[in-house]
Formats: sequence, C-alpha cells, structure tokens
Amino acid sequence: MFLFRRRPEPPAFIQAYQQAPQPDPAMPWREVGYSVIDIETSGLDERRDALLAIGLVEINAGRVDLARRWYSLVRPPEGLLVGAGSIRIHGLLRAELAVAPPVEEVLPLLLERLASRVLLVHVAQVDVAFLNRILKERWGARLAGPILDTARLAMTLHQTAQTLGQVQTDMPLPAIQLRALATRFGLPTYGEHNALNDALTTAQLFLAQASRLERQGRTTLRNLLRAGKV
Amino acid sequence: MEEIAAFLGSYPPFDQIPASALHRLASSAQIEYFAAGQEIMAFGGPPAQFLYVVCKGSVDRLHEAEGAEQAFDTLGPGEAFGHPSLIRGHSPVVTVRAHTEVLAYLIPAAIFHEMRAEFSAFANFFAASAIERLDFAVQSRRDSAAPTLFQTRLRDLVGRALVAISPEATVREAAQLMSQEHVSCVLVDLPPYGILDHDTGIFTDRDMRNRVVAAGLPYDTPISQVMTAPARIMPADSMVFEGLMAMLEYGQHHMPITEDGRVIGIVTHAAILRHQSSSPVFLPSQLRRAKSLTDMRHYSDQVASTVDSLLDAGARVSDIGRVVAVAHDALLQRLLHDAEAELGPPPVPYAWLVLGSEGRFEQTLRTDQDNALVYADDAPPEAEDYFRALSERIVEQLVFCGFPRCTGDIMATNPRWRQPLHVWKSYFSRWISVPEEEALLRTAIFFDYRQVYGELNVEESLRPVVLEARKNKVFLARMVRAALRQPAPLTFFRQVALERHGDQRHMLDLKERGTVMVVDLARIFSLEAGCSATSTTTRLRKSWTESSISEADAEALISAFELISTVRMRNQQAQIARGEEPTNQVVFPQLGPLDQRELKEALQVIANIQRGVSLTFQTNLMG
Repeated sequence: MFLFRRRPEPPAFIQAYQQAPQPDPAMPWREVGYSVIDIETSGLDERRDALLAIGLVEINAGRVDLARRWYSLVRPPEGLLVGAGSIRIHGLLRAELAVAPPVEEVLPLLLERLASRVLLVHVAQVDVAFLNRILKERWGARLAGPILDTARLAMTLHQTAQTLGQVQTDMPLPAIQLRALATRFGLPTYGEHNALNDALTTAQLFLAQASRLERQGRTTLRNLLRAGKV
Repeated sequence: MEEIAAFLGSYPPFDQIPASALHRLASSAQIEYFAAGQEIMAFGGPPAQFLYVVCKGSVDRLHEAEGAEQAFDTLGPGEAFGHPSLIRGHSPVVTVRAHTEVLAYLIPAAIFHEMRAEFSAFANFFAASAIERLDFAVQSRRDSAAPTLFQTRLRDLVGRALVAISPEATVREAAQLMSQEHVSCVLVDLPPYGILDHDTGIFTDRDMRNRVVAAGLPYDTPISQVMTAPARIMPADSMVFEGLMAMLEYGQHHMPITEDGRVIGIVTHAAILRHQSSSPVFLPSQLRRAKSLTDMRHYSDQVASTVDSLLDAGARVSDIGRVVAVAHDALLQRLLHDAEAELGPPPVPYAWLVLGSEGRFEQTLRTDQDNALVYADDAPPEAEDYFRALSERIVEQLVFCGFPRCTGDIMATNPRWRQPLHVWKSYFSRWISVPEEEALLRTAIFFDYRQVYGELNVEESLRPVVLEARKNKVFLARMVRAALRQPAPLTFFRQVALERHGDQRHMLDLKERGTVMVVDLARIFSLEAGCSATSTTTRLRKSWTESSISEADAEALISAFELISTVRMRNQQAQIARGEEPTNQVVFPQLGPLDQRELKEALQVIANIQRGVSLTFQTNLMG
C-alpha cells in the first residue's frame, strides 16, 4: 500500500530544461536571450483541443535572429478530428497534420530552445495553458522561467502614457490584437495565422516596446518583467 | 516570412539576384528596432557587422562639421547602409542615426560577402561611392537594353589584312594594288617609314573618284597629293557606336583603328552596317535621296524614330543628342543649300546658328526652333532683303518638317536676331556689361550657340567675346546667382521635394528642376575655364582643370545629368506612346524604386555642387 503513487523519473530533456540556469533579472534587456513563440491550435480549450503548430524566433543581442527560427507541425492525438472551422483559420490540412511528428517528439525540441531564455508570447494565457497542459499530462512538468507578454507590455505602456498625460485618460485601452498593435507602432506585419509569422510580428513588437521602456529608464530585464510578466 | 524576401526583392540590388538566393539572404537576416534619434553606427566606432536595410522609417547619415553633426543624406525604406565599413572592415566614416523610429533588416557579413562574390550586379551596387553607383546605374541600363551597338568594339569588326603603299607611289599603282587586294582603301606609309602610326595617310576609292578622276588629274599623280593625311583614326577599343558617330560626323567610310599607337586594321562603314542594320548611318543617304520637302519631312520623322530605337538600345542621352544634332544639322544644311540654289548665292558670307539645347547637342525631340543668322559686316544694303527671304523660307520649311516656331520669337526671321557680325558682338558685350534679368536669360540661350552652316567664321569672332565674360566678376556673380535661384528640389530631410498642390501634386519637373540646373552650372564652369565647348557633358569634362569644380564633382555632375536626362526621355517616350503631349513632368511616386532612388542621389549631387558654387563665388567674386 502506497500513500503516494511514485511518479516515474522525468525524462532527461525535462530535467535539463528545469535545471538550466534562469536569466538574471538585473541584466540589461538587450543582453538577455528571448524565445518568441506562437502556436496554432484546433480551438481555444486546452483540455479538449489540440496543439497543431509551433513557430519560434529568437531575439539575441536585441535583434531578431531569423537564422535561429524554428517551426514545426504537431500531429493531433488519435481520434481528434480537426474541425473545418479551425482549418479555415490556420490553413493546416488534416492530411499534412497526420504525417507531422507527434507532440512527444516536438516538445523536447521546443524545450531545448526555451532553456535559459525568456519566453515571449503575445496574449500568453492561451499558449501557456496549452503547453502546460501537455507538459503536465505527459511528464508532470510545467514551463519554468520568466514569461513576458507583449499584450501586457502594451497595457503598461498605455497606462504610463496616461499617467504622464501623453494620452487622454478617457482614451480607450489599445486593442490587443497583434496586428493592430504592430501597425500602431508603424511596424510591418507578416502573413497572418502562421505560427512563425506571428512569432516574428510579436518579436518586432517587443523590440519596439522594449525600446520605449528603455527611454523611460526601464532598461533591465527586471523592469520589463515588472511591466509585462505573466 | 516570404514578406522579407519580397520586400528586399522590390529594391535594388536585391531585385538583381535570383529568388533562391534572395530567400537564403532573407532567412539569415536579423531584425533590429531603433528609437528615433538612436545612434546606429558611429563615426570612428567599431566596423559594421551587418549590411543594414531600412524597412520602416528613415535614418540620417551625418558628417561631423565644426564639432556639430550635419545630416547630408536621409535613407528611407529599401535603402541600405553600412556596406563601406563592412567591405573595408574599417570604422564607419559617417555616423548613422535613426531619424524616426526605424525597423531595419540586418544582413550578416558572411552572407553579404557570399552574395557579392556570387552576383556581380550585387557587388557593383555596393561598390564604394554614390557616384560610382550612379555611374553603374547608367551603365546597367545600357547593359540591360538591346546590346550589339553598345557592346561591340571596333576591333571586333576589323577587316582583312592592312594594305599600305608609299607616298611616292602613283595613283595608278594604288588603284592596281587596291584591285589586286580587293580593298576599297589603302593606307599611306608616312615617315618614319615602316611604322603605321598616328601619322598615316589614307586613300580611298572615293578619293579616286572625287579627287583624281573628277578633278582630271593624271594617273601618275603621286598618292601624297590626293591622300588624306593624317587619317582620322580611333583606338581599337572604341565602341562601334563611337566609330559610327565619328564616321557620321566626318562623312568618312573607312576608319583605321589603332592599338598602342599602331594601326592594326580598318573598319568600314559597310562592316558596321552589316553588323547593325537599323542604325542611324542610313539617315544621311536617305536625306541625299530626298527630292521634295515631303521627303525631308519623312526624313525628320525617321530621325525621331531612330532616337526611339537608340534609347531602347540603351544609348547615353548625350550620345543620342549627338546623333540628333548630326541628323538635324544635315537637314538644315540641305535646306540652306537648296535655298541658295533657288535664291542665288548670298551677297556676303553668313552663318546660320542654332541655339539653346540644339546648340548644346542636347535636343532629343523635335522641340521649338531656336536659331539666328549672322552676316559679314561689309554687306551691301540689299543683303538684308536676301537674308530675310532666306530666313523666312528656312523657318517655314522647318515648321513643315516638324519643328514648331519658337514662342519667344528667337528665330532668324526676327530682324533682331538677323544682324551683321558687329551688331552681334555689341549684343554679347552689352549682355555681359549690363547683366540685367533679361540679359542673363539671353546669355543662357545665345552663349550656347553652334554654327551649322555658312562661310562666315563666327566662332573666331564671337566666342572670344563670350569668353571675355569670365573677366567680368559682376557678370559671373549674377550668372551664378541666377543659376542658384532654383535650388535642387530636396526637402529638409534631403528627400525629393515635389509639388504639393493642385494639378501638379507629386510632380517633379525633370527639366526646370533637373537638367537645367546642371546646364547652368556647366555654363558657369566652362566660362570660368575659358572653354568654348557648348555641350554640357563636354563642358564639364573639359573645364574642371581650369575651374573651381573638382574632377570628381565634374564626373558626378555628368552622371547626374545623364541619369536625369534618361529618366526624362523615357518618360517622354512613354507619353508619346500613350498619345499624350511629351512633357518634362514625372509623377514621382509612380516611378520605380530604382528611378526614385537614383533621381534622389542625382539631385543630392547637384545640391552639393550648388552649395560649393555658392560659397566659392560669393567669397571670390562678390567681395
């Protein structure tokens, strides 16, 4: 009789991920590495819907590094039929998903790219929920390390501007849609509803936001986390 | 991510590399964001590690001047910087600062060098200076157009082995030799014997006909009496086009070509014709066959379509201007010759002058006539009647051939512009000594005169009067002021300034705010240098040694002039093709990115030189 069912030892890639040192919050933001991700899913419910694609670009030394981009489709679990409505949005066909690597193969590759870096997501809630659900179900793990959300950073910048009287206090909050935000900064956007393109758009948005905060004297990772941590 | 490749691919030189390479480039790019005012690259700082391409926003390139930064250029989307430092591995020589917020694509050094090694168009584009790039722009437009005339060199068309004869040989011996060797000309070996160099004579079958048989000379006449010596020769590496120009200009059909000072062969008119069947060489013979004024009108139409094909073939606008000048001069000469045949010989020698753009060899379309007539001072009273009749006839016939009357009435039919030499001298002197507004306008047209026909040697009497002007500091200063009244159309941010309102919105006048500015500057420099050439490019090329413009600036100005003229001419060609009246206006935003950028650079060159001129002449002359 066991009071506690002993969990099996987590696999090596989980251990490596969990034991990797975390970025030092006192560092200037440009010296920190960021992994910017976006995911496509079959719906918005992480308990019922499946992860279908992950796109990732890295920011190193304050620059988006396209040579370090990564993109993968994910095979949905058996028995899950990707709805026609969602295919219309993400454009991923059942046939191509059926031959994609399963989540057990994709997640180790993802975690390797997240270790020791700040995870950066736009509207992190959904993406983080999906990833944590998978990590917990399969390996009893969760995302470690700091997570920054560009939507939150947008809110903070807006509030600061209001406090400083740069925008009127009755001005509505900015839209949090990625494209609307990027466009407001005068940034180019890339093809919509492709995880890699959205990650790239997010990364550019972040550079603009970080640069704004820097001018307000908020130059360290800690400052950024205070303004946009999940 | 396709967008990055597509973005880069819509700007030069990225549009010159194949799609696969473009993708390789785009997928190794980095992206960086700069806040307004942020320094991107520092003068004397660490060498650039990337080629920077502006994606959004604009950056300033700044010079350090007396302790303060001064922006001399502004780059917008699609424009690149950092390459000089990247290529040489040296510290940047300029500071680059974000003017607005800027998003830039950064091409890492390794792939940048890879692309340079792989694609010469890419490498050339990033070669050193803006001027070299302007030059390259003109060059590559030529390369991309139909080639032959501009890619073939005279040496490629050289005929059979050389046939030479001694100057003591008789005409009969020469004829025997020519017939035996099946050649249409022989070279005459002049001292030092045994070396066919620049002092070589030539004797052709046309000379045989015209100088021997028609003149009734005996066949034992020594060849030295009837040859042409020294023969007009050209370097073997000259372009076929240049050879053609020279043949047209001097009416010769054989061109000896040289290498290292030695004659290595002869290129014939016929060889060029075989090589290029639709060339302007056909024009003179067509004119010779013309029997009626209608034929001449047809000839003049032919000239216009030749211009089109030359432009398509990628000729420089200055070369086209020369072809047109030769062709139109030939027409005028024919008309004047016929007029004399009908009205009788002129009572005194005279000269028919063409003025303005025609005088500068820069006429490309059939534009308004600008002409004048000068006659000798010892003319009897009835001479005026003769020249009036002559002028009216010629101007009328030119109208028929497609050249409208001058709206400002600057034509030989206006008695004011049909005067004896001494009156002309007094005109010129007065314009120089009393340089009022109108006088300055006159000099801009009349100083660029060129004699097309007539026995009176105007050049030796009038040009010295013009060149006297350089000693008159007040005149020079006024001329400079008039030339600078219209500054190069650049905004505060060194972007091209366009009309903002009304019908002309977004328009740029490529003549008034383009070529004319260069023409005016060239006139000043050539006057300063005492140079008697009238063509803008020749003026610049010949006067830099003796005037305040540097060689580099002169070359830059020539490139700018060629470039603006080319865009202007293409625009006019397109307008004509659409059935519109040709104008000098372009809708700037509708031009391709390459044209836009090159025009901007050309205008920046002009602005810099205008600035220099304003400083030089204010300090030197006004005080």
